[in-house]
Amino acid sequence: MAAADSPSAALRRRDLCSRGIRLAGKMRADVVDLLDIYVEQQGLDASVSVAAVEGVPLAAVERWDEQTGTQRLLENLAAYRAFRALLAQMLEEQREQLGEADAGLGRALAAVLLQVSAFAYHLEELLRLESRGIPGEEGDEPPPLPRLSLFEQKLRGLGVLRELAQWAVRSARDLRQLAKPSPATGTAPGLAESP
Amino acid sequence: MFFRWNWVACSFCLVLNICSPDASGGLVQSCGHIIPESPVLALGSNFTALCILNETCLDFGNIYANQIIWKIKNRVVPKEQYREINRTVSSVTFNDTSSLATPLTCNILADGQIEQNIYGITVTVGLAPEKPKNLSCIVHQMSRFTYVMNCTWNPGRHTFLDTEFRLRYSWPEEVFPDCIPKGVNNSCTVDDIQFFVNTEIWVEAANALGKAESDRLVVDPVDIVKPLSPQNVSVSSGILPTILKLSWENRISDAVMTLKFNIRYRIIGDTSWMEVPSEDTASPRTSFSVQGLRPYTGYAFSIRCMKEDGVGYWSDWSEEKTGITTEDEPSKGPPIWRIIDASHSPASWTVHLMWKALKPFEANGVILQYEVTVRDKSSLSSPLKKYNVTSTNHTLQLPKGTYEVTLIARNSVGASPPSVLLIPASNSEAPVKNLRTLPKHDKLWVGWTAPNNYVLKYVIEWCLVSSSSDCIIEWQIALGDVQGVDLKGIKPFKCYLITVYPLYADGQGSGQSVKAYLKQDRPSKGPTVQTKKVGKAEAVLTWNHLTVEEQNGFIRNYTILYKTIDGNETVVTVDPSKTEYTLSSLTSDTLYTVRMMASTDNGSRTGPDFTFTTQKFGKGEIEAIVVPVCLAFLLIVLLGVLFCFNKRDLIKKHIWPIVPDPSKSNIAQWSPQVPAKHNFNSKDQMYPEGSFTDVSVVEIEADDKKSFSEQDLKPFDLLKKEKSTSEGHSSGIGGSSCMSSPRQSVSDSDEGETTQNTSSTVQYSTVVLNGYRDQTPVQVFSRSESTQPLLDSEEKSEDHAGGADSTAQRQQYFRQNGGQDENNTDRPCFERAKQITHANEGDLVGFVQLQVSGQSSQPLGLGMEKNTQEAALSNVLQTCTEGQTVRPETVEENPLSVDDMPKSYLPQTVRQGGYMPQ
Repeated sequence: MAAADSPSAALRRRDLCSRGIRLAGKMRADVVDLLDIYVEQQGLDASVSVAAVEGVPLAAVERWDEQTGTQRLLENLAAYRAFRALLAQMLEEQREQLGEADAGLGRALAAVLLQVSAFAYHLEELLRLESRGIPGEEGDEPPPLPRLSLFEQKLRGLGVLRELAQWAVRSARDLRQLAKPSPATGTAPGLAESP
Repeated sequence: MFFRWNWVACSFCLVLNICSPDASGGLVQSCGHIIPESPVLALGSNFTALCILNETCLDFGNIYANQIIWKIKNRVVPKEQYREINRTVSSVTFNDTSSLATPLTCNILADGQIEQNIYGITVTVGLAPEKPKNLSCIVHQMSRFTYVMNCTWNPGRHTFLDTEFRLRYSWPEEVFPDCIPKGVNNSCTVDDIQFFVNTEIWVEAANALGKAESDRLVVDPVDIVKPLSPQNVSVSSGILPTILKLSWENRISDAVMTLKFNIRYRIIGDTSWMEVPSEDTASPRTSFSVQGLRPYTGYAFSIRCMKEDGVGYWSDWSEEKTGITTEDEPSKGPPIWRIIDASHSPASWTVHLMWKALKPFEANGVILQYEVTVRDKSSLSSPLKKYNVTSTNHTLQLPKGTYEVTLIARNSVGASPPSVLLIPASNSEAPVKNLRTLPKHDKLWVGWTAPNNYVLKYVIEWCLVSSSSDCIIEWQIALGDVQGVDLKGIKPFKCYLITVYPLYADGQGSGQSVKAYLKQDRPSKGPTVQTKKVGKAEAVLTWNHLTVEEQNGFIRNYTILYKTIDGNETVVTVDPSKTEYTLSSLTSDTLYTVRMMASTDNGSRTGPDFTFTTQKFGKGEIEAIVVPVCLAFLLIVLLGVLFCFNKRDLIKKHIWPIVPDPSKSNIAQWSPQVPAKHNFNSKDQMYPEGSFTDVSVVEIEADDKKSFSEQDLKPFDLLKKEKSTSEGHSSGIGGSSCMSSPRQSVSDSDEGETTQNTSSTVQYSTVVLNGYRDQTPVQVFSRSESTQPLLDSEEKSEDHAGGADSTAQRQQYFRQNGGQDENNTDRPCFERAKQITHANEGDLVGFVQLQVSGQSSQPLGLGMEKNTQEAALSNVLQTCTEGQTVRPETVEENPLSVDDMPKSYLPQTVRQGGYMPQ
């Protein structure tokens, strides 16, 4: 936390938080838009209920307001690393399925993937400011996803995007919480906000 | 100076083919090569090349390094730049590569001074890339979700080499694909940009000579966004007439950025924009109510946006949208004025009320009608008169007096404040002073000095002055505290009559007028001059004023230019008010050309030429010559007449030579009753005028000698005898007249020779028998104009009595007569003789009878007549036979014969009443 005490570190932290919040908002908006495109393109029903997808971290958490800042950052980082892998998989599958026929969906997926990557970078930077070691990713490569049918791939993609949208909201709130100039940051609970 | 070194890299290898010892093997081997091979060199650096000969060629061709010649293109490199390193290697050094050209060849001077090429290389010279500068990027929003980032930079100097520029950007843990410009070297567009992450952006430039990087730009792309302008802008009117509500849609997500706005608006038709204060629109929104607008006015709106925190770029202005505010009641009353026509009746007026339609921002809506109220201020009891009018004028017939006119304009919302115009019975108040005008660009400023009294307002009337139509009055009202207004709509080169009236609370001042031009030009035509009157040395020129349409300005003066055909032009400047001018000091009888020029402040225009010729004589000159000449002539005539009158006797003597008066002849003296000779000098005394009754003239042509032959004359002799005894005085006289020119005897008014011929004329005149004034008539023979030789002695005596001069003249007279009229005396004499002969041919007695035919009834004495005839005949014979010339001797001789003649002239007895002419 020593680094966080310096004014420049505080500014940097605030800036990162601010950008992270806006990026999360942008990411959510883009994911929501992408969901509409995705549902339409994949021929899915927007109201279809998708069970929890394996490997996709859940945004909902109990006792959110009791989490420390570092906890939040670590959970976020883990989630977005997972999303990065999932989205990359989706992008590859989408290219395999549609080729260049639907470049719009591919571009949108790629854009969201970039945003996820960017948000993960923000989280890593914040963790550095917290003088925390950045956890390494589990292995050099993520575990290969199970081979699914095409429909299952579509449903999984839908579940990934919905969960990402949820995470974007939670991340924004987490960062707002971190941005608050509270001396107990990292130890004391933030505002009693629920995702 | 740089050379262009950007040569195409082409391999150039000229190989000196020398058959190797095993040439039968078919291989061709180069005898050497150059190091380095096709180098790229920095401009301005030094460069050394080596030409290395193959050992195999040394022995075969006796070729060594000292024989090497270096060439740039076809130019031999100076040997100072060579260096023989060993017998197979030669180097060449260039201190400055800018002097290099391609190809650089290594040549050998073989035996026989034959130059052969060994090897050649291409040299490329250029510059390393400079560090790109001024890198800047803008993220353009292309659609709701699409953004592209365009970066530009300054690539630096030209390198003369192929230089590659790359725009690179990255996140700390993410490297993105480079952006490589296409066709340009100073900009590139990235179409995959992500916000909210600081992105490092830089440019790399690289070529064969090096690589350079720009400074790194670290920026969150969201901070350099130029968003799309709001769309679907709409304008709606609100409840209030001064408000319009503007609505729009933003095309950028709130998740990306929140926006602030700029709203601008203008009145439709205006070009200047007004802007809503930026602080009013600094927060995200999709609508805004613009306040403080004019009622019933059309407005155009436009809006733009940018990131709320002001970091980034403003969008373009949106498309304009228009809206109209609702109506409001008119804000002011219409300006009103009047024209009073009092010409048709002295006791009443025709008042033409006129007012101006309110301007849109004053009317605040559509004016439905005007309400005119007229109040007679001179009569309190008279009722108000109201009129509802839809036009902007109204005409009233009013008795002369003072009135107050009130005007109200109404629209659908309400009525305007009233406009009041006082119409006084007379404009008796003080007028404005010092009225003047001044052109100001396209406006005409009218200024005045205010009267001393407080003025409510001024009315400025103006109209275009025209020669062909009436002045159509325009007007405007100025407030009382101003002393000048700008008149709009004034045309240049037109004359305007401007009148200013001050309006007081209790009356009106008389108008002051001035004429003015907004802009003057030279006249459109010149005056046409002509002459009114032309004299010997002067000419009166006249012309008409140019019409006001032709003047194009104030005519400052007229200039008359006149000249003769070969003379210098004379210029005369004339006051513009004149239409006539007299040119003086002109040369008489000379053709002049005159033209006239009208001048304004801005130029002149000359009219057509007019020519005239001055007169040869001046006025009265002819009269001055003719009248004196006539007077002189008359005077001379008068003097001549007077002279003649005074000298009438003398003239008479010349014209009518004095014929000796028979009464004064010896016969008269002989007669006892005849007074003394000297008493008969004047015939008048004896025979006053009127006493002659007639003259008998007997003419005998005496020149026909033949007709008077001896035989022919015999009867005359007989007749002589008979006549000498017969009574009758006239026959005797007539006979003698034959000896003279009968022509001369006929008229006494003949002149010249006729007069002179009188010498041969014998005229016997009346024998007056009447008594004079109851006196007893004396029987005398009166003779006038007779040169009868027989009477010469009498004449002589008379001439003696008259003076020696007259005698001399007489003698001269006869002399001239005889000398000059030789022939003349012949012919007349012959002619007369013919007449006589004619008579004689028949009967000579008839002749006698003829001579006395008028007296045949009278008892004439034949003897007397016979004597007379005899004497006459003798004379005739003498004259005709002796020749044409009457000599003085003859004249002299006559008296001698005449001395005997009186015996034959006896007093004749005539009947009472006198001798009657034949």
